[in-house]
Amino acid sequence: MFLETRHIEKNFGDYRALDDINIGVREGTIFGLLGPNGAGKTTLIRLINRILRPDHGEILLNGRTMQDDDVRQIGYLPEERGLYKKMRVGEQAVYLARLKGLSRLEAESRLIKWFEKLGIESWWKRPVEELSKGMQQKVQFIVTILHNPSLLIFDEPFSGFDPVNATLLKNEILALRDKGATVIFSTHNMASVEEICDDIALINHSRVVLSGGVGEIRHSFSKNLFEVVTQPSETQLVLPDEFKVLSHKSNTDSELTVVTLPNGATANDLIALLLNQRQILSINEKLPSMNDIFVEAVKEGGEQ
Amino acid sequence: MSKTLLVIQREYATRVRKPSFWLLTILVPILLAALYAIPIYTALKPAEKTTVLVADESGLFGGMDRNDTLRADSRFCSTENIEYQYAATLEYARRQMDASDSIAAILYIRSRASGAIPTDACLYYKSDLPPQQVRYDVDRQLQRILRNRLLQAHNISGDEYALISNTKINLRTEDLETGRDAFVEVKTALGLILAMLIYMAIFMFGSQVMRGVVEEKSNRIVEVIVCSVRPFQLMMGKVVGIALVGLTQFLLWVVLTGIALVGIQATNSELFQTATQKHELTELATKGSDATLQMEQSTEMADLPQLVEGIASIDWGAILPAFLFYFIFGYLLYATLFAAAGALCDNDTDTQIFSLPLTVPLLLTILMMPAMLNEPSGTVSQVLSLIPFTSPVAMMLRIPFGVPLTQVYWSVALLVASFPLCTWLAARLYRGSILRYNRLASFRAKYKKKK
Repeated sequence: MFLETRHIEKNFGDYRALDDINIGVREGTIFGLLGPNGAGKTTLIRLINRILRPDHGEILLNGRTMQDDDVRQIGYLPEERGLYKKMRVGEQAVYLARLKGLSRLEAESRLIKWFEKLGIESWWKRPVEELSKGMQQKVQFIVTILHNPSLLIFDEPFSGFDPVNATLLKNEILALRDKGATVIFSTHNMASVEEICDDIALINHSRVVLSGGVGEIRHSFSKNLFEVVTQPSETQLVLPDEFKVLSHKSNTDSELTVVTLPNGATANDLIALLLNQRQILSINEKLPSMNDIFVEAVKEGGEQ
Repeated sequence: MSKTLLVIQREYATRVRKPSFWLLTILVPILLAALYAIPIYTALKPAEKTTVLVADESGLFGGMDRNDTLRADSRFCSTENIEYQYAATLEYARRQMDASDSIAAILYIRSRASGAIPTDACLYYKSDLPPQQVRYDVDRQLQRILRNRLLQAHNISGDEYALISNTKINLRTEDLETGRDAFVEVKTALGLILAMLIYMAIFMFGSQVMRGVVEEKSNRIVEVIVCSVRPFQLMMGKVVGIALVGLTQFLLWVVLTGIALVGIQATNSELFQTATQKHELTELATKGSDATLQMEQSTEMADLPQLVEGIASIDWGAILPAFLFYFIFGYLLYATLFAAAGALCDNDTDTQIFSLPLTVPLLLTILMMPAMLNEPSGTVSQVLSLIPFTSPVAMMLRIPFGVPLTQVYWSVALLVASFPLCTWLAARLYRGSILRYNRLASFRAKYKKKK
């Protein structure tokens, strides 16, 4: 594991913000940190960043306890992000990069490359307050990754981006992962989780309620739901009672049927039943979306 | 350490580059120079010649003297800018005034029963109030002539009068051991100026620290920064950076004011020379002939050498280092606490609530100033100059009067010792609050719970 937390606990006064958190992030993967507002995601991120210290437990980086110096390896883009409004864009980016340990010259040369890459080089000498929100986000993104961190932490990176820039940003994140960086990213955007995350942990009420690979989790939440597309037919489709038909739509050229299979039954059993009745065009298992899983897991937690 | 330096650099550079910094830096010396130059210019400016008509019905002020036979000490004498002309009646004077624009006013002195001394006179004007210079001169000459008349009536010579009114007993306050003059007035003024300076500097730059912290918090850049800089480094960087801005501004004020004053004197050396020459000339002209006029001027000047002596008697070698020390440490003490208060705020409107506990000790010292000046070594003064929160202002008020060394040592020791303590407390508050919002509400909630 690249990053591991062991039995992390954090209290604010009487309030327990994190309780026995164990997560593991594999090197070179994208790890999604999910959870409703107030679940404790930002607190966990701040613990990893060493802005806060855990009351119990430890955080390991590459198998050893994290030290203060390790924050140099981290690039962090917080959810609530800002810049000094009155400062000039370039000057401010250089300042933030130098705080991360880069020399002035190194910071400038790297910044110019990135500014050109994202098409904002003409803004170098303008004060930040003249920039649009999306533009400021680009500057913040560049500053986050400029010192080539091996661990990137993005808190809600896509909020405030238009679709074009969100795609641009997503591709940059994937490119960084491909170059070997490990990414932790916290979001409410479940579609993006399915799309780019390898593993996730879902935090609710200060605890990890669900964790593992995205595919694995979706399979484990499977309701044995199948979607069958067939040629239309005059005759009524007949299935045993255990096979529940949830919906049935017919068009002139096809029929769409959604069926829940009984426990133990597989796609093959369904196909066997259909073979004599219809011409099968396609059959797919309908896995629950991350969105459904999120809502379900959070609801269960709420009922506890 | 290098990160703290980076923060200091940014805080300093962004503030010093602001137009408002330079505006203030340039405006204050200009203001001070103007304060110095304007009275001189107006005094020297050859004013328009004006005429005052004197309608003296009493005859005591030269009004009955048709042929100008009276000596100068019994009649109005024209000066460089004001010409006095006698008019027989008020009615005549009024007609003249209607006819001419150069007449500024009519001085009317009512007739009295013979021998009675007039108690009032009136200066009539039309639409425009006569210049202050005119009113002042009329009044001065009225008193002078009246006095001379009385001296004549009682048969007292000018020299005798000058002797009587110039002879004074000077009460001094002196140290029994050293025999040195206490110069209480000079020291009081100096103490007040120094104490107010320290108070203003602490308040001005302390609230700059606070506003800087609130700005970082409200625009949420602080979360990015505390990932690479420890909150303590960020706080101290800001405090030190702003201290350097303050010192720069003070230095520039001193230098620029100096340059402005020297410049004014150099470019107008002629004016300054003529001013002193004129003064000497009038003194020469009036010598002997008008003893009372001479006396008036000499009493005005008498205080000056004493002031110079008083200023010279002050132990500047002790005051300047003390000022620098109390300014720096007083500022550092308060600035760290202002930073902590700023960390508790979410926005500018919160700052008033959280800075209140900090302004109370400062204001208290200011309010206690009269009591302390009354007794510079009294109990109140001693206590206030020991407490670190009040000692910078209190000590500066006392120091011109001389403070026993042991008291200075204690005050310095307590102030220096309290600095790390305050910084530690401020750093804790700062670290705990810089990333949390709505602190006021959460404090309220806590308080309610405990209740």
